[in-house]
Amino acid sequence: MKRAGIFGATLLFLAAAAGQPAFAHKVIASVFASGDTIEGEIGFSNGDMATDTLVEVFDEDGNKLGETTTDGDGFFTFKPTHRIVHVFKANLGAGHVTEVRMELEELPEIDAASVAGGKTQSARLAEDSAATGTAPEETGAAQTPQMSEAVLEENRELIREMIHREVTPLRREIAAYKEKNDLQSILGGIGYIVGLFGLFFYLAARRKLARD
Amino acid sequence: MHIVDGALSNEVVIAGTVLAVGGVALGLRKLPMEKIPAAGVLSATFFVASLIHVPIGPSSVHLILNGLAGLVLGWAAFPALLVGLLLQAVFFGFGGVTVLGVNTLNIALPAVAVYYICRQGVASGSAVVAAIWGGIGGALSIVLTTAMVGISLALSGEEFVPAAKLVLVTHIPVMAIEGLLTGFAVYLARMVKPDLFAGLEAPAGGYR
Repeated sequence: MKRAGIFGATLLFLAAAAGQPAFAHKVIASVFASGDTIEGEIGFSNGDMATDTLVEVFDEDGNKLGETTTDGDGFFTFKPTHRIVHVFKANLGAGHVTEVRMELEELPEIDAASVAGGKTQSARLAEDSAATGTAPEETGAAQTPQMSEAVLEENRELIREMIHREVTPLRREIAAYKEKNDLQSILGGIGYIVGLFGLFFYLAARRKLARD
Repeated sequence: MHIVDGALSNEVVIAGTVLAVGGVALGLRKLPMEKIPAAGVLSATFFVASLIHVPIGPSSVHLILNGLAGLVLGWAAFPALLVGLLLQAVFFGFGGVTVLGVNTLNIALPAVAVYYICRQGVASGSAVVAAIWGGIGGALSIVLTTAMVGISLALSGEEFVPAAKLVLVTHIPVMAIEGLLTGFAVYLARMVKPDLFAGLEAPAGGYR
């Protein structure tokens, strides 16, 4: 018995020492709002990204809303048209499927008015610039607010891009952190196993004692 | 190796669960009191082994060690591996709770097959021969497990050949490593504790 214990302990120790508590083959997917589109990332928990993978988009009842494919970095975008819960599903093959939901409150602002407004605004700006071209002497005063609006829009786009760049590594880190298996959970699991088999042992022993 | 929730059709999940329950029941009945500690240790080993990563190219695969569990435990590998899988699903998110039955079947049934195929060899008089049989068992259990995973996926509608091929190819290094590891484990066990591989049904009198 003692030898068996030593043998087991050695095996366990070797396993624990060699095993880096790190990543396994698990699919991770995340979605987030960016501007008026939904962006998402799909990859394996060991850092491989899912490239050129079909991502299907469904609503809550399983009706298909559309589909998109990931690029070389496992990145995809989807432009939502309705304010409903979006469910993204991807099949990475060999039993690796993933599903990720985007709840209502996480959705980007997409009320049709703003989309239409933006369009008309840019159209107006185009008209304005066309007008500026033809009649530069007239526009001096009227141009300034229009210009600043255009600049503002550009700035907003720039800031959005900057934030996106800054946040992406953080998001990755958080995803990686979620996947981390630290020593505590490993020891916890082993503890459960020991306890469970101890219980088995107890029950078996009781039965045996009752029999004898 | 772990199939995740939602990858399989309902029929496969239900059939797998039913078969796994049968296997676990049989395993518990065939588990003598003297083997309970060994089952616990192997369950814990299996639980931890999945965290050992073998890097191959850009990807990596992890050890399973179901061959070793099968050689030592026989049918009792079912409950031992079930416990390991359940805790992996809960703690690490490997696999899932609904597909627990299928995963148990995919991993424990090869272990039992290896037990029947290799137990004569492992019980052989020479420790080296036993170690070689142990190595064969370790590698064989991975082959069988990949086949089982491929079949599960195929029954759920995925093309069998590409799916199985993908799983098989990525696990070739694991086969080699598990074969070696199981071989050495058997050798070590034969040296320090020769009666570990004694038949389960036989009352292991000299165990303590």
